[in-house]
Amino acid sequence: MTAPPLNRVSYIEDDEDIQRIVRLSLERIGKMSIDIVSDPEEAIGRMIAFKPDLVVLDWMLPGIDGPTLFRRMQARAETCRLPVVFITAKASARELEELRALGAAGTISKPFSPNDLPAQLRAIWDALPAHARGQP
Amino acid sequence: MSLLSTSAQAVPSASAADSTAAVEPKLLVADRVAQLYGQLPLGIAASFALIIVLAYGLRDSRQTWMVGTWAAMALVINVARGILWWSYQRGERGSSDAEQWMRWLAIGTLANGTVWGVLAGLFFHLQPAQENLFMLLILAGVLVGGIAMYAASWPLYALYGAPVILPFTYNLMAHELEALQALAVLVPVFYAACVGVAYRLNQLFLSGFRSQHAFRRLNTEYAALNKRLARQLEELSDARAQVEASGRKLTLFVEGSPLAVFELDPRGLALHTNPAAENLFGYAASELNGRAIAEFLFTPEQRIEIAARWREMLGSRRPVMLLGQPTRRRDGNAIVCEWSLTPLVNAEGRVISIIVQGSDITQQREAERLKQEFTSTLSHELRTPLTAVIGALQLVNSGALGVSGPEACEMTEIAERNSQRLLDLINDLLDLEKIESGKLPVTLQPMPLDELLRESLVLNRAFADRFKVHLELLGAMSPARVYVDRRRMLQILTNLLSNAAKFSPEGGIVEVTLQDLGAGLRIAVHDRGPGIPADFHSKIFNRFAQADMSLTRKKGGTGLGLAICKRLTELMGGKIGYDDRPGGGTTFWVELPKYTAGSA
Repeated sequence: MTAPPLNRVSYIEDDEDIQRIVRLSLERIGKMSIDIVSDPEEAIGRMIAFKPDLVVLDWMLPGIDGPTLFRRMQARAETCRLPVVFITAKASARELEELRALGAAGTISKPFSPNDLPAQLRAIWDALPAHARGQP
Repeated sequence: MSLLSTSAQAVPSASAADSTAAVEPKLLVADRVAQLYGQLPLGIAASFALIIVLAYGLRDSRQTWMVGTWAAMALVINVARGILWWSYQRGERGSSDAEQWMRWLAIGTLANGTVWGVLAGLFFHLQPAQENLFMLLILAGVLVGGIAMYAASWPLYALYGAPVILPFTYNLMAHELEALQALAVLVPVFYAACVGVAYRLNQLFLSGFRSQHAFRRLNTEYAALNKRLARQLEELSDARAQVEASGRKLTLFVEGSPLAVFELDPRGLALHTNPAAENLFGYAASELNGRAIAEFLFTPEQRIEIAARWREMLGSRRPVMLLGQPTRRRDGNAIVCEWSLTPLVNAEGRVISIIVQGSDITQQREAERLKQEFTSTLSHELRTPLTAVIGALQLVNSGALGVSGPEACEMTEIAERNSQRLLDLINDLLDLEKIESGKLPVTLQPMPLDELLRESLVLNRAFADRFKVHLELLGAMSPARVYVDRRRMLQILTNLLSNAAKFSPEGGIVEVTLQDLGAGLRIAVHDRGPGIPADFHSKIFNRFAQADMSLTRKKGGTGLGLAICKRLTELMGGKIGYDDRPGGGTTFWVELPKYTAGSA
């Protein structure tokens, strides 16, 4: 069975300029629906409401950081199956490994190209095993 | 004096115990000879006197001519002995020719003995009885007197007495008087007794000589010992002065040292505390000396760890370092100190005391932390706005947001290109910083170099196309593997290929080769660019090294690429370099050792 297309993305990011760029990138170039959340404390509630296919988390967030939010998601039945992609400026091999160990579906390093971002996310999505796409 | 000096040379270092026992036989001979020659003038004088008295007493005898001849012979012989004595006195009397002098003396003695023998043989029976008595007395006197003369050597005495006694005994035996015939039996007994006495005297002399020698040698040795002792005393006093001087110097160093210095005994109790230590920790030396300083400066948990290192140091007798120890001051503030513990070991290998030096590295630590924080800020805080800038420009330039006018397009393209350069610069600086602080993680694994090379060509083809330059792989490819970090190896190759493309003339070809060197592999990137100016040869791998900085602006690049390449190559055990290319252009090369199982 072929993978269902990637349509809905939740993006947790506090920098408004980058929010805007990612929105344009995913909506205009990727033709996806995107829900952007600035406050990580609100993120899980918004995810449950939005029902994304995939979540993109920034590593550095105000208050709680990306990995902490990820762990909280894993603790909730509604969000524990959602695939997560981290966007990070940290590019050391050890940290990338750490993210994979957490169960991240993939990583995209900063700065990313908004032209390529939809394709990068789709590549990660397509490479996921069926059960990891939140499908039964 | 030569005798004394000879003995001093012969046994300069013999111990006093030896010196009484063994005396060199040669030296004994020399002493005897000296003694015998010392007596000689007395003997000669006595002989002259006797000869004159006898010649006078016998003047009326029947054979006057015989007496005259004997007296002349006796005088000649004694004059000869006198000459012998005189030459002995004048000549060298060392131990080497003592035996020769002894032989001469023996000849003289024999001749003198013969003089009296001839007297006894020729004249005794010719005389009337009372004159015979006179001669008897004289001959007995000659024999007895000889004992004193030749006491130093009994054989000499025997030699002297024999020619006297033989004709005398014969004459007595042949005499018509029975009393004298009986005397003939007594004379040899008398002679034997005299030789016996001479022998005993001789022994006495010998032991006298031995004692004298031993004493002399003791004396010499004592003098030498005294001299040595004086020298040693002098040296000792010099050494003490030196020790005192260096002690003063050491004290000066310790007292003036900016480092906190403690001298501790092996139990860890302070023996000495310098002013810097007082200032740094806030305790007076009088409070610390005699106490365990660790109790003042460290927490109980730290003390357990430090005690283990302390035992390690005492066991190995080698210095140990305690790095980055939080240390409490009297005012309760904590500082970070680096401690070095150096055991002072005496000649027997026992630890006498431990010199403990502490330096406050709190500020250094803070500076390091600030630097790391700065690097991290550079990494994250600069990249985030740049992500926004580049992202926004890329979106505009992609046309996804609609088409702007050609001039606006040109401007946003310039903005994108330059913000990209800024990002490259930041990345390069961070890389270099990480490499230099040893924090760049490299994951080395065996990789086929030819595959990496092909991959890097694919990755850089688009970049080269911008300069209308073609990248071409030439020659046979070795399938051998190298032990490298894949990402960093691609970074090096990308740098070399993009440099070659940038500096090649439009329409040019960059040739890439992979050469098998046996133990290693060599990648070479050959361009037909302008080459590297001679004055730039030594700087090419330095930071911000571009021969023509205007090229940086025209063609991009940060000026850090080759510096990074060099460090990365070295990090992976390789070498990087370049050669001028015949016909113009430059060849940059990287050599890496081949991977063999076990070489990692």
